[in-house]
Formats: sequence, structure tokens, C-alpha cells
Amino acid sequence: MIQITLFRNDIKQILRDPVMTLLLVAPLLLIIVFKIVEVVLIPFLMQKTGFDVMPYASYVFSFILLMNSGMLGIVTGFMMLDERDGNIAQLLEVTPLGRSGYLINRLSFASILSILYCLVSFAVFRLAELPFYSVILFCLLSAIYTAIIGLLIYSGADDKVKGLTYAKGLNSLVLFAFTDLFALNWLTFISWFFPPYWITMMIKSPYSFTYACIAMLVHVIWLGFLIFRYAKRES
Amino acid sequence: MRLQHAILADMRFQIKHGFYLVYVIITVMYLIILSFLPEKVLSVLLPVVVFSDPSVLGLFFIGGIILLEKGQGVLMVLVVTPLRSVEYILSKVISLSIISVAAALAISWFSYFPSVNWVLLILSTILTSGIFTLLGIMINAGCNTVNQYMLKTIPYMLLFIIPCLALIGFPYSWLFTIVPSVAALKLMLGVYHGIIWYEATALVVYLFIVNYILLRFAVRVFESKIVYQD
Repeated sequence: MIQITLFRNDIKQILRDPVMTLLLVAPLLLIIVFKIVEVVLIPFLMQKTGFDVMPYASYVFSFILLMNSGMLGIVTGFMMLDERDGNIAQLLEVTPLGRSGYLINRLSFASILSILYCLVSFAVFRLAELPFYSVILFCLLSAIYTAIIGLLIYSGADDKVKGLTYAKGLNSLVLFAFTDLFALNWLTFISWFFPPYWITMMIKSPYSFTYACIAMLVHVIWLGFLIFRYAKRES
Repeated sequence: MRLQHAILADMRFQIKHGFYLVYVIITVMYLIILSFLPEKVLSVLLPVVVFSDPSVLGLFFIGGIILLEKGQGVLMVLVVTPLRSVEYILSKVISLSIISVAAALAISWFSYFPSVNWVLLILSTILTSGIFTLLGIMINAGCNTVNQYMLKTIPYMLLFIIPCLALIGFPYSWLFTIVPSVAALKLMLGVYHGIIWYEATALVVYLFIVNYILLRFAVRVFESKIVYQD
């Protein structure tokens, strides 16, 4: 009940703050930009240079999904860092919500938005050939990835500047979504341990049960490890 | 002497906060990607990468640095120290430019691009980095959170980045060189593709003037809207 009340208050607070509202609809802007690129730039590139982007469509879509979830994670991470600096987090932690409740509340809000934008991305880019259960799985993985990024920033950074450094570094994680293209064994091996690689693999092979299981496992291990680290640090 | 100490202190702060480490990672990432590109594509993408990331890093970081220092009360202390506002800002600009130049040199060196004008690369990176860091200081005025700052940078980025499309070339597109980012990208392209000496000189002088004007504005905004905000 407390969670629902706080969740409702969060929505109210975000809608009152134009900055937060705009930041949370930013992924929608990104989807629109990529749609324009798909409609205008890709045919233009094909016509002018003969370069066909379509064979790389799965990588591009993986990039869009990761950017959306990552962006929401970064915004949530900074929101929590600001709340820590303003002692709001400490205040909420002594309410019946508690420390874990605070974390669940903040991360679940961003994760739900991530699911929403994942569905929007699927609708906009018309990836109809993907089975329904794959779409559900992608939504779940996007939600977990958002929580991972948010937690990496919040639990890893001591202050805003370190948060920015983390955010900058975390953008590099997207590289792992493309390692398949480089055909470097050592890089592919490292990529196995990072969520973006498995998102691309799942888009490339949507019917593979093995990829789906590994992707879920990698995401859950990361999330579990970060929650454990956060709990240990806070205690 | 004061400026020199401020720069060293800022560099220590940046090392402590992992700026250098994160740029080593980002540089390696770029090098992996660039190493797979054919030379024709590399010649276009290399200047764009150096222009869009290392040269612009100041805009990304300066918001957080000033917000943190404001929160810690550093800016209040600054008022009673001999360090002048202009020196404080210059120290930030120079220290962030050092990372920009280091990253730009590393990316260009390890990309093994055949013809790079190293002197011009250093000059154009410093001048571009200066513009974006000073812009970041001005954007920072009135911001209380990093999210606010990031959101406020979006229209400025669009204003600076969209005109760069003029470099594709269309009638009267040269007029866009008046936009500092277009002039900076033109100079950066010249680093790798060659540029006539008088055009390079004109661009360097123009960017230097833009930096000077922005510095004057940044000092004014910093003093009136950031230091004495409350």
C-alpha cells in the first residue's frame, strides 16, 4: 500500500516538474529520431552510396532498445544521487517505506517506463516477425537493464561528478551489442558477461531458447550482484 | 602561479573522479570500432569522432563539477580567496582541454591514419573544448540538479550540431561557418584531409575570438548567476 501511495506521489511529483517530465519522455524523442533516420536517411544512403543498412537492422534495433533503457537508468540514477545529496533519500529511509522500499520504488518506476518504451519501439519499428513471448522477454530484460544502470550509478558513485563519469563509461557498454560484427574472439568472450551482447543475440535468434535463458541469467546475475553490493554498502 | 595551482588541483580532482580512466576505456572502444572501418569511411568518421566526443567532453562534465562544488560550498569560499573568477574558469577549461587533447591524440595516433596535422589537431581540440566547456558554465546557471543541466544542454547541442550538416555542401552552405561548431568541425576535417594555411589561420583566429567572447560572458554569468545565486 505504501509502495502504491509513493508511486502515485512520484508520478504527481514528476508531472509537476517539467524537467523530469521531459527527461522521461526523452526516449520517445529518440524513437522518433531513429524512425526519421529509417524513413529518410537509410534510403538516401542506399541511393547515394549503395550501402544497405538492412543487414545490420538487428544491431540498430538492439542499440535503440539499449539506449532507451540506459537513458532511463541514467536519469533514475541521477535522481537518486540528487535525493541523496538533498538528504531526501535518508528521510524516506526512516519512513515505513524503508531503505529497500525506497530503492524498489525508484527503480520500478523507471523499469515500468522502460517496458512501455520497449513496446513502443516494437510497434514503431514493426518487428512483427518476433514471437509474442520474445517481446515480453525483451520488455523484462529492458526493465532489468534500466534497473542495472540506475543501480550502477547510484551505488557506484559517491557524488554527481562520479555519477557523470559512470554514465559516460556505461555508454561504452553498448559496444558489446556490436561485438558480433567485429569477429574478435577475445572481445566476444568478454561480451558474454554483459547484457547488451545477449540483447543482440536474442534479436538475431528470437526462437532460441538457449539465448533467452542465458540473456535472462546474465541480467538477473548483474541485478542480484548490484543489489547485494548496495545492501552491503548501506549496512 | 595561482592559475597553475588551480589547474593542478583540478587535474587531481579529475583523476580522483576517474575522468582519465573513463577516457582510456572510451578511447579503446573507439579504436576497436575504427580499426574495422575501411580507410575511405575512416577519413570521414575519424574527425567526426574526435570532434563529437573528446572535444565536447567539457560540456558533459562541467555541469556536474560546478553543481558539486556549489553543493560543497567551494564557490562560497572562492569569493574570499585570491583566486579570481576568470582564473577559476580558465583552470576548468584548461584542465578539461588536457583530457580532450590526450584522448584526441591517442585516437588519431592509434588509428594509424596516414596524414594527420598534429599541431592543428592540438589547436582545434583545445579551441573546440574551450567553447563547449564555457558554454556548459553558462548553461549551468540556474540549474540545481544534473538532470536539469542535461536537459538544458539539449537545445544548445541541437543549435550547435544541426548546422554542422552544412558541411555536406549546398549553395551558400559556407555561410554556416559563422556558427562556431561548424568552424571547429571544418578545422577538424582539415586536420585529417589537409587545409590551405590561410583558411586554417582564419578559422583558428575566429575560434580564438569566440573563446575569448564566451570567456567574458561565462565570467559574468558565473559571478552573477552561480556564485551569488543565493
